[in-house]
Amino acid sequence: MRVAVEEKVLSENQRLAMELRQRFLDHNVFCLNLISSPGSGKTSLLERTLEAMAKDTKVAVLTGDIQTENDARRLARAGFPVKQITTGGTCHLDAKMITKALSDWNLDEIDILFIENVGNLVCPSSYDLGEHAKIVLLSVTEGEDKPLKYPGIFLKSELCVINKMDLLPYVPFDLAAARENARKVHPGIDLVEVSCTVRKGLDDWLAWIYRRQQKVVGVPTL
Amino acid sequence: MDRVKQESEKRGGAHVTKVGVRVGELSGVDPDALSFGFEMLVKDTPFEGLALEIDFRKRVQRCATCGRAFETDMLFGACPDCGSSDTACIAGDELDIAFIELEDTACV
Repeated sequence: MRVAVEEKVLSENQRLAMELRQRFLDHNVFCLNLISSPGSGKTSLLERTLEAMAKDTKVAVLTGDIQTENDARRLARAGFPVKQITTGGTCHLDAKMITKALSDWNLDEIDILFIENVGNLVCPSSYDLGEHAKIVLLSVTEGEDKPLKYPGIFLKSELCVINKMDLLPYVPFDLAAARENARKVHPGIDLVEVSCTVRKGLDDWLAWIYRRQQKVVGVPTL
Repeated sequence: MDRVKQESEKRGGAHVTKVGVRVGELSGVDPDALSFGFEMLVKDTPFEGLALEIDFRKRVQRCATCGRAFETDMLFGACPDCGSSDTACIAGDELDIAFIELEDTACV
């Protein structure tokens, strides 16, 4: 006897992610999920972002790593609420970890929530965290063929941030090919080029965030 | 496995013989690795010998211009009919339990 089940293997994660999304909607929280290889600059980008955001913007960060509280310490310097999620070996964040981490935060005190995922281009792409958009980072010290090697995450991300642009003259990274590869996998993907070290392109990145936030929450920011 | 146990218990502990899963190539799951892991998972348990059937699905894009849906590889090209590159992914990231087969004890 064959019984049809038709259930997603990650259905429990999906259920929790939908709950999170509804809570974000109820409390006007705009949530972004940052994903990249280790060392592409997720934490640096968030450091620059927090510095640049006005103190009256209510920003909060959840940052995931397998071990250490280092990223939370770096990000806490900007004065916004930051919480480290240490996964103890797991290579991605899941919706349950986010639910738990948010349990003692008042969502009315948050306008923008950044989730910095564990450095990995594969597993984080399968776990919905209730975010409004996934963002993938690619740095010029990596290969321009990353989008072709890891199409899943480039397909699911609305924006690709190309980081470490200040190093472009010193590395064999083909920027035009990187853009083309990202678009080959995901024709509608937005692209922003930044350098966190010399603080370039950050206005484009912030403008993208505020535009996207308005689409979701509908309130003008700044 | 929770789902397999549930279905078995619902039918008075009927013996489960096969589980069918659907795996899209964009899901990040490798069918060989899944089969290997599954074998290890059921080994030395009451489910030892349980068969796993994997239905591997290619990525499917739909063309926004002419509406044609077409199968493609990980790096899709333009629509094979009208040549438009304005296509959206409509399938290929599945990771679903499709069905479970049990021995037909209740209906004898």
